[in-house]
Order: sequence, then structure tokens, then C-alpha cells
Amino acid sequence: MNLYQPMPMRVERVINETSDLTLKSFELTFENKTDQKAFFEKYNPGQFCQFSVFGKGEAPFGIASAAWEGPFVRFTVQNVGSLTQTIHNLQPGDLVGVRGPLGNGFPLDKLKGRNLVIIGGGCAFSTLYALTKHIMYKEHRKDYGQLTIVYGARNSGLCLYKADIESWYDRSDMVIHQAIDVPEEGWDHHVGYVPDVVKKVAPAPKNTSAIVCGPPIMTKFTLPILSELGFPPKEIYTSLEKRMKCGVGKCGRCNIGSKYVCKDGPVFTLAELNDLPQDI
Amino acid sequence: MSYKTTPVNQFPKLVSQWIKKYDVTAPAEAKNGLEYKTIGDPAEMMLNNRVNTTYAPKAFFLPQSEKLFTVEHGRFQAPELKTKPRLLLGVRPCDTRAFWLLDTVFLAKGEEDAYWQRRRADSLVISFGCDTPCASCFCTSVGGEPFGREGSDIQMTQLEDVYVFEAFTEKGSALINKLPEADAATVKKVKALQKTSAAEMPKAFDNTNLRDHLYALFEDDFWKEVAETCLGCGVCTYLCPTCYCFDIVDEVQRGERVRNWDTCMFRVYSQEASGHNPRPNKAARTRQRVMHKYAYWIDSINEFGCTGCGRCVVNCPVNIDIREIVSAAQARSAKMEAAK
Repeated sequence: MNLYQPMPMRVERVINETSDLTLKSFELTFENKTDQKAFFEKYNPGQFCQFSVFGKGEAPFGIASAAWEGPFVRFTVQNVGSLTQTIHNLQPGDLVGVRGPLGNGFPLDKLKGRNLVIIGGGCAFSTLYALTKHIMYKEHRKDYGQLTIVYGARNSGLCLYKADIESWYDRSDMVIHQAIDVPEEGWDHHVGYVPDVVKKVAPAPKNTSAIVCGPPIMTKFTLPILSELGFPPKEIYTSLEKRMKCGVGKCGRCNIGSKYVCKDGPVFTLAELNDLPQDI
Repeated sequence: MSYKTTPVNQFPKLVSQWIKKYDVTAPAEAKNGLEYKTIGDPAEMMLNNRVNTTYAPKAFFLPQSEKLFTVEHGRFQAPELKTKPRLLLGVRPCDTRAFWLLDTVFLAKGEEDAYWQRRRADSLVISFGCDTPCASCFCTSVGGEPFGREGSDIQMTQLEDVYVFEAFTEKGSALINKLPEADAATVKKVKALQKTSAAEMPKAFDNTNLRDHLYALFEDDFWKEVAETCLGCGVCTYLCPTCYCFDIVDEVQRGERVRNWDTCMFRVYSQEASGHNPRPNKAARTRQRVMHKYAYWIDSINEFGCTGCGRCVVNCPVNIDIREIVSAAQARSAKMEAAK
């Protein structure tokens, strides 16, 4: 087995997610059935892949789809650099390289039987979307308690997965709170920053785990709020991002102390992060 | 394990035989001082040197630039690695210890790096014990020894006019099993020499609780002070036998994906696409280099990630000496502790 060998995958569908066109989702399908089988045997929401376009390089992206949605794998990519620009130019039918799933993902077994509050901001919502889709699946839903989602974006145009999330308001087995930073005409959900919304709507910490993923500034201010509300550090999960090359704990660059975000993470509890040097 | 011998003047003959079967790679003269070279003639090898090679031999298992894949029409094809086995001869124990440390990274169970694994499997390492350590060496301060065995298949020791060999692995034994057995007196001399060499090696610093001392200084201005003169050139990491960080890049014109050595001493190393950089200044990068070696390696496998070869000390263009950083860190942390 070669750790660095990308699987060939084909772009099946490209979805423009946001009004400013900086975020697109890509649904990829496997060229080889054996790759597909190996992928779904291992895949767990919260994991990521190394996405390659030869000539531009390779970078890590969180997986934004649940296994049951497959056989495709979805990535939501923000156009910020040369590789992501190239990814944004991909068309259905194009061939790309993908390695993964990599990293630990969310600890589904530990979360079973618990209430969950899932808190996301901006494009970091992608792996949380995969987690939510996983939990909402009819055969999985009974394994978890109450489900509360808090999702914030700068404005309504930047909200991801709009149509799907809109449909969550109709479900009786979950509560969804969406927030934008400043008021907009026609917006009848929350207005304000995610930490403030969390303070208002978070469920009681008893038998509840919180999963937080967002831009660093959002995470930084949300974690203390959760602690204030009484969530113990080992029941607060967050997913980190770092520059990565290998994605498998060899190339050295994504370390925080002796842990590698690619291999030991990207999902860590606040308790684990508190034990690491502040090199984030 | 048994000890084998060969007279020093017969050794070139033995090496000639090895050259037929192996790419025999040994220290030899080069434009940058001593370098490991694949030799065609035993006369080229220079074993008895008072200094180590400029470059660490890690490059034979983790080349400075290495093709990972040939890419055609978007499909990635791993290259066939060449198969002639390599015999690394005369490697100093600090450098073989580095192989052993890096094996824990590249041969971690279930996560083996196929490139490193193949090159390691296709090679034999004969280390050459150090009876006269050079001034910049400090192996005994970081868990090593002048006659340390880690990472080698065979160790050779020189006693005046004979070389004595001791094999530690099966493939090592197989190479030397036809050589004459050493007699009891010779073995006794080898053991005595190994003991005195270790004892005579001066300690560069006290490594007691070094990990904890470094963690205590994590947020301290200490790092700013020690990094003040650093140029960020990265030579310390490129020449380091245990530094293994790499970058993966696409060489479009060659149709290849390659990996190149990288260094934590460069700003772009940890720079993220968002613009955020977890190590935005030299202080943070120097801290990463020192703490990776003396704290994070301890956390991972309870060994220092430094083998005391002294290359970073000798080659730093502004004379930053990692031994001094460590000693100063110990002193600063102790002082902080006392002030509490």
C-alpha cells in the first residue's frame, strides 16, 4: 500500500453554494469499485481527504457528505488560492485524485445515546453537515438524543446547503438555529454572532455533547461560553485545520506539540487541547 | 552474537567483494568535505576521520528530492524503485541511531512509508564505533553512545591493525559469517574500548527533566532571545540526521509528483491558505525545532529526537549552538522555578 497514492475520482456534480461564488460543492464518484468499498468501510463523519489536481498540488478538505448519501463523496471548497481556483474550474466528468478518508473523525460511538448541540460557522460547517446528515438518517437517528444545530454565516448569501437546511425547520426530531451577522430584509432567523446565539439557545449540558467547528475567532469565543454553560471540557469537541502535505503523520508540519492534526485529529476534545501547547 | 575480525590491511579486499554485490556507500572526499559516496574502489573510502560527513546519510532512505509518482492523464503511477542493494559502510553511531528513530516514523505499523521501507529493506548498515569523538559531538547527552548499536546491522570497531565486527541482525550475520572468529582477548579489548569511549565523552548538557523545562518556557521570551540572530536558512534541519519534514509538489513539465526536504525554519512551512500562520516568527519556529527534538519526541517515544552529531552546531552561519540553547533553557527554567 502506498500512503501517498491518490485514488482516481470523477467529478459528478458541481454546486454553487454561495451568492459571492467563493464556495462550491463537488460531488465525486470513484473510478474503481475497490477504492469505493475501502473508502466507505473506513469513513466516519469528521474525516478529511487530500484532494489533488495534478499540476496544482494537493490540499486537505473535510468530507461534507454522509456515507448513506453515497456512492459519491462531497467536498465544499472555498476559492482562496491556486489549487482551489483550479478546483473551482472543474467540470462534471473531470478526473481528479483523492486520498482518504484521513484523520479520526467525530467519535460516533461515544456520542451515542447523548444529546448533541452542533455549532458551526461559515464554510467550516461542511464536516458538521456530514455529521448531521449521518445522525438524521432514519436508521441512525434513534441512536442519539435531542439534536440542536446552530449555524452562522456572515450573511444569508453565504449560508451553505440552503435548500436542505431550510427543510430541517420542518423536522420534529431536531432544532435548527441559523444566524447572520447583520440584519437583512426577509431574514426571520437569528441575527448576531454564533457565541451569543449559543448562549441563548444551547440545551442543558446534562448528557449533552457540544461539537464546534468554525473560523478560529468563532471557536475562540464559543468554547468559553460552553464552559460557562457547564459543558465539561471532555464533552466539547472541535475540529482543527492546519497546513498539511502528507495527511498521514509523516511530513511533520501540522503538529501541535507531539500531536499531529492529520493523524491524531482533526477532531479533539477541549480537554485534549488544554493539555497541548498553544501552538494553534 | 559472535565477534568476527579482519586485519585492517585485508579490509579493502573484503570491500572489493562487497562492491560486486552491493552499492557500497562510504565516506569519501568531496568538494564539500566528506560525503557519502557509492564507491567503485575501496581506496576511495575514508573511514578514519576526525569529523563526520557534511551531509547525514538519511538521504539514502529519504532522498532530498524523490519522485513519488509519474502522472499521466491525471493518473498517478508509483515508480519501480531500483533493486541493487546498498551497503552503507562506516556510518557513525549517531547517524545509525537516527535511522532507528526515523524508522519509528516511517515504519509505524500499518502506516509504513513504502519508499523508506523499500530502501531500508534493500540496505545493510555497517556502523563504525567512535573511539575519538570530535569536539562538536554530544551523543551521550541525548541517549546515544559512541558505540551505540541502534539502526545498524553490523558494528565495526578498530583495534590497532584489526577490525572487529559484531552483527546485530540476521542479514548482518549473513554478510560476515565467513570471517574468522575473534579470540577472547580481542573481544575483551573491544568491550573495554567501548566502555572507555563512552566514559570519556564529555557531557554537553544535563538532560534531566529537559522536556519539562522546555514546556515551562513555552510562552517565555526565551525563544525570542535565542532566535534573535537566526537567519532562518534551515541548514540546521537539512543537515540534521533526524529531521525528516517534507513537502510534496507537482513538477508539471516532468509529469511528476515529488517530495522534497522541507524545514520548519521557513515561514511558508506552516502558512495556511487563509493567511493564518501558527508559527509566524523566528522565535516560534526555533521553539518548534528545539522542542520537537527534546520534548515532543520524548512525548511520542520517550527518546530524544537528536543524536548529538553536532552538524547543526558546526554549520550554522551565525553560530547558534543547540547545546547552548538547551543549557540556557535548563538554567532559565530552574530560575523561574526558584522564583515561584
